[in-house]
Amino acid sequence: MVVQNMTGKYGRLHTKLMLDYGTNVAAGAAPGKEGQSVEGVPVYNSVAEAVEKSGAKASVCFVPAEFTLAAGADALNAGVKLLVIITEHVPIRDTLRLVQLAESRGASIIGPNCPGLIVPSRKVKLGIMPAPSYAPGNVALFSRSGTLMYEIAGQLTSNGFGQSVALGMGGDPINGTTSIECLDFAEKDDETKAVVVVGEIGGDAEERLARHIAKSGFKKPIVAYIAGRHAPKEKKMGHAGAIIYGDYGTADSKIRALTGAGVKVALTPTQVPVLLRESLG
Amino acid sequence: MRLFEYQAKDLFKQYALPVPRSIRADDVNAVLEAFLKLNHPVALKAQVLAGGRGKAGGIAIVDDEDAAVHEARRIFGLTIGGERPSSILVEEAYPHDVELYLSVSLDRGDRAFVTIAATAGGVDVESLTGKVIRRVPLDGIDEAFAKEVATLLKLPPDQAPQYVKILLSLERLAREKECELAEINPLAVGKDGTLMPLDAKVIIDDSALFRHPEFARLHPEDEFEGEASRQGFAFVRLGGDIAVVGNGAGLVLSTLDLVGDAGGNPACFLDLGGGAQQERIEAALRLVNRLPGVDRILINIYGGITRTTDVAVGISTVLGEGAVRPIFARISGAEEDEARKILSGTSVKLFKTAPDAVNAVVKGT
Repeated sequence: MVVQNMTGKYGRLHTKLMLDYGTNVAAGAAPGKEGQSVEGVPVYNSVAEAVEKSGAKASVCFVPAEFTLAAGADALNAGVKLLVIITEHVPIRDTLRLVQLAESRGASIIGPNCPGLIVPSRKVKLGIMPAPSYAPGNVALFSRSGTLMYEIAGQLTSNGFGQSVALGMGGDPINGTTSIECLDFAEKDDETKAVVVVGEIGGDAEERLARHIAKSGFKKPIVAYIAGRHAPKEKKMGHAGAIIYGDYGTADSKIRALTGAGVKVALTPTQVPVLLRESLG
Repeated sequence: MRLFEYQAKDLFKQYALPVPRSIRADDVNAVLEAFLKLNHPVALKAQVLAGGRGKAGGIAIVDDEDAAVHEARRIFGLTIGGERPSSILVEEAYPHDVELYLSVSLDRGDRAFVTIAATAGGVDVESLTGKVIRRVPLDGIDEAFAKEVATLLKLPPDQAPQYVKILLSLERLAREKECELAEINPLAVGKDGTLMPLDAKVIIDDSALFRHPEFARLHPEDEFEGEASRQGFAFVRLGGDIAVVGNGAGLVLSTLDLVGDAGGNPACFLDLGGGAQQERIEAALRLVNRLPGVDRILINIYGGITRTTDVAVGISTVLGEGAVRPIFARISGAEEDEARKILSGTSVKLFKTAPDAVNAVVKGT
């Protein structure tokens, strides 16, 4: 895959860490930096060139928020089919444009404001999550929060529950890949035997997921953890999407909805592996 | 970023949306002066960002000077959702029988902006019946779109053209100023059939503020929020006595939950952000140490990119500077044994798990 803004501070650091993990980072893009290389990976002026020269179909984007729309559009127009946007603070309307463009090109976006995607059994890390927290296994882990994903992955791994895939949906109000899409993937994936969903206050993604679970008759065990039971209202708790307006987006609403759909909901991160063990019998 | 009602109405004026005549007043005398200048009766409306203003008594209709002074004094003394009114908007009352609802808002689930329109306004949008909801294209709407909404609402012929104009202007405002929400609730229908927005609620997408300098410095910032912002921390003041600091918004939020469950009262939510280096933990500790009401500090670090040894060095540096509130910390991740060594011999109470750290800090032991 390619890394956009490879020569920036985080681009450099994570290119190295992704390579260390075993991921095939084939090329980088950074305007004006053509001819340079990072950890032996060649850098090109544009993502179009990087994609053409490397044949990559995926991109991990570290471009700052003001330019993410342009960089993301370049990637999608160059034929990237999986665009992972790590960047935080991307304007909502820019994200919406990227989501529309991806749909029109049959591509997927993960993020923005997310740690990315990791498939431990294939040593593929498209993102910034700490590798030691993850191990191959059969639990699919989907999370809005990055650090909670690491914490819970660590809990799962140390309790013998490796991960088939771990995907960070992101902390923004708009997610390129939704929890419903994640669940549909988990349904079809034979390596996945159970799912852990990590949500938080704000929006209604978890409520929608609960309705989808009930409607689709999802059979594999699901354990959820929702952060923000003690969050104040009307305050953005770090993530742009983590805000309660009136009674809309409370942790209670999400917990009730998921419980009603047959999901076991943990009250603390350490309870997740306990509930998973119960579910798997 | 939420705008005050008076700021939202100023924005409405820029977009040729009608608003009642009003004067903003910073104190009781100014309210009286405003009262004398405007037609009576007037509404005195507390200017706060918190919701629930009406229920909290933040709006009063007055028709004489004594009432104006009395109510102004009362309203300035209110605390609404933890907030004191920064000013009172003195606004001419608008006689009406019918209230409509109209907004342009972000539908997160649909991943689109929508207009929501209804013929019974004045109450919470969630409880409205007979809503007309239409997706708004990112590039805007046209007259045909607006006319269709007016038709679906079955508005009488004298109101429909005004409604169309208002919807077109509101949508343009929402699009150009990158609002997450632009709401008119209620949109009053006057005795003569003239439509008049009586309240205005605007929330700007924070992530878009960098390209809207017109909104810079719109809200007075408290010194701690200002400092946190300069350091790049996500920070929310909460009013309790346990400062909660961590590396990652979800992790900090989860830690707040643990503290709440254990019966503790967080003083703040502080997210150091990714790759929290030594300097950042130092700045965060210095900030929370000065925060009024704080008497204990809880630090929750899950090391990934964040180097636990950097965190340990940062903590011990600040401890070396002088009096610091008692620190309870859970530091987990690569090099945590070295981090532990760095902090042994200091007053920091280290725990292996977050629940252990939380139980200890809440007990104060």
